[in-house]
Amino acid sequence: MASPPPPPPQVNLIDDVVAEILLRLPPDEPEHLFRASLVCKPWLRLICDPAFRRRYRAFHGAPPLLGLLHRTQVCDGDPAARFASTTSMPDFPHPDSDDCSTRPLDCRHGRVLVRMFHGPAVDLLVWDPVNGDRHVVPNPDINVLIYTAAVFCAAAGCDHLNCHGGPFRVVFLATDDHEEVVKASVYSSVTGAWSEPVSLDDSCECYAQHKRDTSAKRGYYIPYVQPRRVAAIGDAVYFTISRSTAIAKYDCGKNRLSVIDPPPPDTEVYGGFITLMVMEDNSLGLAGVKDFSLHLWSRNVNGAAKWVQCMVIDLEKIMPMAKPLKGNGANVVGFAEGLGVIFVSTTVGLFTIELKSGLVKKVDAPGVYFSVLPYMSFYTPDRGRLLSLARLTEH
Amino acid sequence: MATREAGKKMIMLKSPDGMEFEVEEAVAMESQTIRKMIEDDCADTAILIPNINSKILSRVIEYCNKHVPTTGATGAAASDTVAPAALAEDLKIWDAEFIKVNRATRFDLIQAASYLNIKGLLDLTSQTTIDTISDNSLEEIRSFLSTKNDYLPEEEQTIRRENQWAFQ
Repeated sequence: MASPPPPPPQVNLIDDVVAEILLRLPPDEPEHLFRASLVCKPWLRLICDPAFRRRYRAFHGAPPLLGLLHRTQVCDGDPAARFASTTSMPDFPHPDSDDCSTRPLDCRHGRVLVRMFHGPAVDLLVWDPVNGDRHVVPNPDINVLIYTAAVFCAAAGCDHLNCHGGPFRVVFLATDDHEEVVKASVYSSVTGAWSEPVSLDDSCECYAQHKRDTSAKRGYYIPYVQPRRVAAIGDAVYFTISRSTAIAKYDCGKNRLSVIDPPPPDTEVYGGFITLMVMEDNSLGLAGVKDFSLHLWSRNVNGAAKWVQCMVIDLEKIMPMAKPLKGNGANVVGFAEGLGVIFVSTTVGLFTIELKSGLVKKVDAPGVYFSVLPYMSFYTPDRGRLLSLARLTEH
Repeated sequence: MATREAGKKMIMLKSPDGMEFEVEEAVAMESQTIRKMIEDDCADTAILIPNINSKILSRVIEYCNKHVPTTGATGAAASDTVAPAALAEDLKIWDAEFIKVNRATRFDLIQAASYLNIKGLLDLTSQTTIDTISDNSLEEIRSFLSTKNDYLPEEEQTIRRENQWAFQ
């Protein structure tokens, strides 16, 4: 007879059962773990145990949506300085002050990137709402006219389930006000310096073609970087320029800017409101709304790259309550990678649509939205009085 | 290794109270713990399952029997004739019946599923308790799960004050 596997230690049996149950409490409703930690101290110790928290994160995979900031188009001015919670938690206090106006640029890997205007002086702030960390980053060496930017965790081998603290990078993509070209520069928290900016030029045939076409149509050409959240796939960062008529790519590894083949048929049909996405197979995606239908496109790169329409969702069916009384005014304004969630704004409010299930949820009041910056992170009770109690009562 | 009929490898599971259960290897391998033992060649003719009594072990085997994928040489017919959606619906109804047990049995099943690492059974057996924790007050959770509150009143107050949003 085979020797049995080592018996589970008798004393931990109940702990095992409790752990299995607590493991399954939903991370997008963080109140449940907080309440459970106040049931009794053994539960608190279990929940605050780093091994349990690692299991919890691995069990749920992608960090949940805790809240959002958003960007608007230049003509709409900056949105209110607010971290809007999408859970029962209160909003995290936004890091602004009386003498400073702010413009959020990105949320990614547990961090928020905000541009801070202190009178004439401008810098960037990398802010971690969950643990309160703040890092000031100097302005890049570009005469910025219009721009987008992204913050990334730079820890080697990180699974990005719990990026708090540690090194980070900021990628800044801007139209240079003097030279009227698109430039890219990267900041590393390790060196504390920006890289020498690189420019998008005619050596990229797709860009040269796009420039010729647009000049012929309008009589002039300035490549405006749109104030929209980027999509990051592997080493590449994708962003839109020229009223969404072209998609540019910054390859971090090669430190090179290019324009990829033009987006599907005509993004004008989406009224200028599109969102770049990361599809489940890690290909680049694009979403837009036409006639209250959500269109999803995927860029297939097997062989010659081409855009394929992969899904059409009739919004009338899944969110009739969100349909504006007049017209078709619904816009795609964002995407939360890892969660497969699209943000749609209508005159009734801001909604999330879970692509797999079609589940619709209202996450904020109606407003002027252009690009939603979703903040995803685990928020567990290992903080404040709970954590100190857990440590005090450890055996 | 014992074989009952062609193509079906059998394996013996023993509970600590001396009962023996002969099951198909594929059924036993619904447990990742047992699968690993078999794959690592640690399993001979019989495997002793410690700390899981015969009553609970027989229920676990019943679950695995129902949930073992009906593919391969012997089970191909089942999946050919029944639509996957209908199969899933049938399983759901069966699961709902299966889990109609008292609290003590449910906890024993969670513990067994945890030890044997059977994800589906764990999800199923945990769900009722997850609902209890999600939908009830602290006092109700404590009494339901026979858990003693060992917080001092002032500790509990401080925590409630610090995390008001979670207790509204």
